[in-house]
Amino acid sequence: MAGKILICMGSSGISSGAEMVAEAFRSELKAHRLLDVFEVVRVGDRGLFRDVLVDVIAEGKERIIYEYIKAEHVGRIVTEHLVGGEPVKDLLAGDDYHRFFEGQMRVVLGHCGEIDPENVDAYVAAGGYDALRKVLQMTPEAVIEEVKKSGLRGRGGAGFPTGLKWQFGRGAEGDVKYVVCNADEGDPGAFMDRSVLEGDPHAVLEGMIIAGYAIGGQEGYVYCRAEYPLAIKRLDIAIGQAMDKGLLGDNIQGSGFSFHIHVVQGAGAFVCGEETALLASIEGRRGMPRTRPPFPAQKGLFDKPTIINNVETLANLRHIILRGADWYAAIGTEKSKGTKVFAIAGKVKNTGLVEVPMGTTIRDLIMGPGGGMARKLLKLKAVQMGGPSGGCIPESLADLPIDYDSINQTGAIMGSGGMIIMDQKTCMVDLARYFLRFTVEESCGKCVPCRVGLKRMLEVLEEITAGRGNEEHLVFLEAMADTVKKTSLCGLGNTAPNPVLTTLNYFREEYAAHIQDRECPAHSCTALLQFVVDESACTKCGRCYQVCPADAIIWEKKQFARIDKEKCIQCKSCVMACDFMAIR
Amino acid sequence: MARINIDGKDLEVRNDATVLEAALENGIYIPNLCYHPDLNPTGACRLCIVEIEGMRGLPVSCTTAVQDGMVVRTNTKMLQELRKNIVWLLVSECPADRVDKNTQFRKVVDYIGVSDLLPGFTCEPKNLPVAEDDPLFIRDPNLCILCGRCYRACKEIRGVGAIGVVDRGMMSRVTSCYDAPMRDTDCRFCGACVEVCPTGALRDKVSFTQEEREDRLIPCGAECPAHIDVAAYVGLIAQKRYADALAVIRETVPFPLTLGCVCPHPCETVCRRGGIDEAICIRQLKRFVADRDDGKWRKRLKVAPATGKKVAVVGSGPAGLTAAYFLRLKGHDVTVYEAWEKPGGMMRGGIPRYRLPEDTLDSEIKIIEDLEVVIKTNSAVESVDVLFDEGADAVFVAVGACTGIKMGIPGEDDSRVLEGISLLKAVNFGRPVDLGKIVAVVGGGNVAIDAARAALRLGVEKSHILYRRSREEMPAMPEEIEGALEEGVDFRFLVAPVEVMKGEAGLSVKCIRMVLGEPDDGGRRRPESVPGSEFVMAVDRLIVSIGQRSEVPEGFSVDLDRRGRIAADEDTLASSREGVFAGGDVVSGPATVIQAIEAGRKAAVAIDKYLGGDGDITQRLYEREGPDPRLGVMQGFGRMSRAETPVIPVKERFKPGFPEVEKSFDDKTALGEANRCLRCRLRFAIAGPPLPPD
Repeated sequence: MAGKILICMGSSGISSGAEMVAEAFRSELKAHRLLDVFEVVRVGDRGLFRDVLVDVIAEGKERIIYEYIKAEHVGRIVTEHLVGGEPVKDLLAGDDYHRFFEGQMRVVLGHCGEIDPENVDAYVAAGGYDALRKVLQMTPEAVIEEVKKSGLRGRGGAGFPTGLKWQFGRGAEGDVKYVVCNADEGDPGAFMDRSVLEGDPHAVLEGMIIAGYAIGGQEGYVYCRAEYPLAIKRLDIAIGQAMDKGLLGDNIQGSGFSFHIHVVQGAGAFVCGEETALLASIEGRRGMPRTRPPFPAQKGLFDKPTIINNVETLANLRHIILRGADWYAAIGTEKSKGTKVFAIAGKVKNTGLVEVPMGTTIRDLIMGPGGGMARKLLKLKAVQMGGPSGGCIPESLADLPIDYDSINQTGAIMGSGGMIIMDQKTCMVDLARYFLRFTVEESCGKCVPCRVGLKRMLEVLEEITAGRGNEEHLVFLEAMADTVKKTSLCGLGNTAPNPVLTTLNYFREEYAAHIQDRECPAHSCTALLQFVVDESACTKCGRCYQVCPADAIIWEKKQFARIDKEKCIQCKSCVMACDFMAIR
Repeated sequence: MARINIDGKDLEVRNDATVLEAALENGIYIPNLCYHPDLNPTGACRLCIVEIEGMRGLPVSCTTAVQDGMVVRTNTKMLQELRKNIVWLLVSECPADRVDKNTQFRKVVDYIGVSDLLPGFTCEPKNLPVAEDDPLFIRDPNLCILCGRCYRACKEIRGVGAIGVVDRGMMSRVTSCYDAPMRDTDCRFCGACVEVCPTGALRDKVSFTQEEREDRLIPCGAECPAHIDVAAYVGLIAQKRYADALAVIRETVPFPLTLGCVCPHPCETVCRRGGIDEAICIRQLKRFVADRDDGKWRKRLKVAPATGKKVAVVGSGPAGLTAAYFLRLKGHDVTVYEAWEKPGGMMRGGIPRYRLPEDTLDSEIKIIEDLEVVIKTNSAVESVDVLFDEGADAVFVAVGACTGIKMGIPGEDDSRVLEGISLLKAVNFGRPVDLGKIVAVVGGGNVAIDAARAALRLGVEKSHILYRRSREEMPAMPEEIEGALEEGVDFRFLVAPVEVMKGEAGLSVKCIRMVLGEPDDGGRRRPESVPGSEFVMAVDRLIVSIGQRSEVPEGFSVDLDRRGRIAADEDTLASSREGVFAGGDVVSGPATVIQAIEAGRKAAVAIDKYLGGDGDITQRLYEREGPDPRLGVMQGFGRMSRAETPVIPVKERFKPGFPEVEKSFDDKTALGEANRCLRCRLRFAIAGPPLPPD
């Protein structure tokens, strides 16, 4: 065929109407008798929210990318571009789109948005399963050695060296061994695992089969949250296709090595991302963690040796095998190798998935792919790294290279790569409260410090944000955060105090303002707002007047705004709209 | 063995021990709450954290295995502070002052102490609904600290899993699936969960002192006058170990089959299954195994070497024969003297054959005779001196209470006014009895019911029962009342005869109606007559069954009480006369077979001691095994209803020979019934948790 039309049809594409766009292309192509000329390829998402992305790849011509495509645009693309040869200028992807991808190094996400995830032939054509074929010619020990040499560390959060984990798995005594893929992506805002599963499921399967071969395992489980129906569907399709091709199942490629993969759906408990809770859940028990040792590599699923790797970790493997450990180890920093996918969200212009080499600085991420702050007049204040279990890194540390060890030193964690960008309008006390509420609700309830301790901390934070804080509260928070961190049973409890500890560390004066001055410097905590206009800051722009739903702002051009307290419903629309922090 | 060091002490410990176990076994207490010696450790409460050289963080000692060379510190300043903080969290969730002082929780809280983290902080009580509607236990989630011991015990020890945790975080609760009432879950009501609860969030509905504990929680055996180990034999039946079950009964009583037919089963009245629906059918289970006697127990029965001592037992009722049996087993030479022509006492003369067939009684008495107990029938004893003269070293008087009590109303001397007990005896001994066509029986006890039902079998057309109270107050066994009703006995409650007159053909019995007044000393409401309510009944015979008394010959020369019963020491049964003991109905007044048996057992103990023996009449008739703590899931356990006792159809009951009314359970019914048992004793096999030092 002369060309391809790629339509991004991951969850975000489909929810923006990609099905209708694809259908429109089908009928328009038919109408123009172009069905034999252009192939419509349903590909995964690219990690940038642009409603429906459509690429036109015509033979011998530059790839043309369209963004925000709706079904009604398709007619023009077909007639003007496919038939007429002139790209539709006003629908082309803009600078932000290109800037978003420019600074990236897409390894794990390389196939996402490029190949049809439901077609194994497309994967094979792109070099898929070559790594498996290569591995089957190697000894398991050599495979493990290669992975160790690559320096790959677990992408689930803790950063444990993958090759070492496999070595433990290989060394463990057991007639049956398991490989488990942790696809229980629980951090709010993180969706890199979903994108990989939706966009390149075979890469994950290939990684699992390689892992199984390396440790001497026979069975694999993908533990994927039920909230990812498309990922599960595509995994199931991929497993079926791989089985049909003899790439999975009994006697893979005639090697004598057999490996089977099952998909297990999780019910969406955050704690089930913790490996021992995850195993309990696969076994059909309540997802509650247990103490380690014994580690899963010795006694895991159904009490058999089990290695558990994250989706992103597994998706890296084929690249390490094919391009070699040295190639991989050349990317990144001394102790953190390869690339890392980050889910950047919050007060940044471009939100989405960004894959960059380890060691990229926070500021480069924000200013590069992130496209800078969403509101130009507001300054970067802090970044929450690692989801609810992570910590808050202040702007002063934004030039820190992102790698496991540097991030840990700040009190945050790499986590699965969640990154929430905050400007001056985010209250750090409220931020800690917000994340703590999440962990309070997601605590499994098994151990006392996590179950009760986090709840008591949350109650105290609620007191502070409500303007009823006192100095003893801060002493309590520090003592309890320390107790919970030190004595909790699993990683959830061990890390849950991080948002509190880091904000207390970097933004203590903000806590003090809440307690001593009964003031929220970010103008965020409703109970501490006066709803008055600070004339020293007001630029008389009238934004507040425009957004007020209660008609409570009195403003005329070139006049300071005033708030009619009788009418004000304290909805904070004006506070949020003001770029000058003038309403407090 | 591993060599480890805990708090500076070098210890040699088991290789498979955890650090906590190693410490506890060596007298080093590490605070703990979720740990339990019978359960797999989970490390949930975090109190047993320790510092171990070379290990990261603060491992919990309950899940950490010992390793050779380990150096452990259990009580550093930091650990103490952290534990106090955890206790602060625990009491913020479960206020210590709401928890019983004797619980492990309170003791641990007091031992560690509470940090003062937030002075003035009071937390909102959880105010979760307390489950009080379930049988036997109360579940109060407000006192729950989610240590998880209850549901782990249910799963790990019992193999049931009726309870578990629902919801997450602070909302976590231990409950049944979908919060179903426990009766509709797989709960076996074994009490394991209550047993291991450290706070009393799960607790028994019955209250008791520590001394009463076993009797209240295993009430069947405690309530049995002879203390037969009911729990044991019902459990053995559930395991299909029928011969062993019979052996359990046989260790205590020599009349299992008779009891299986006639015992008023006080065990069933208190059976804890009754707190769920209805008691286990214990009497029928006893009969079931007695019916299947394969004689295995007899091979283990030990008769002690001859002591050369002679015992004379006066009366061959259950008391006399039980004493004779156990005294014989202790090696004494026993002779039983019976006034009637056949042995058995009231079992022979007072219980109708349709309840206790003669063969049944004969077979059980024969076992006693086979042990070379001599029973001399037609041998009324008028004086114990004769017995001593004949060489007896001790005498046990168990002559029963065989004489009917009179009502004391005019006209009672008429020859057509009969004694219930005499009537039953005459029938049982095959003597001719003429009852006419209509009889009225006065009384509400078992003898009255027996007489009324026997009369029907003798061909009367109408059998009335006149009772001065109502059905609720009737002392007769409920199943006997039920049987009488089925057979057509006409009950007239709140009626009492006041005069017997000669009628045209038979008797005219003048009766008066009664009402129930205030309760008397015994707790039963006292009947009071209604003036002017008199009426007359025409009957052929009036049968008086309002109780029996004893007749003790003067030649016994023993002190009697004011009611004409022998005065005997409560424990030793010693009478006022040296070497003479007395028990059974002659001491207690009319009672039950099982009470008489207990008297016989006591007599055997006392007389053996009197004769120089040790008084130990214990027999070991079956191989003891530790009980299997695992119960497993039994579908619909909480809704398994009590088996009905099989009976023959009413019309077949009146055939000649007084055919037995009740039939034995078949295997399936017996097994089903034994499986309804809650196995109350199992919880006593659960170890206690390690408590802090005082």
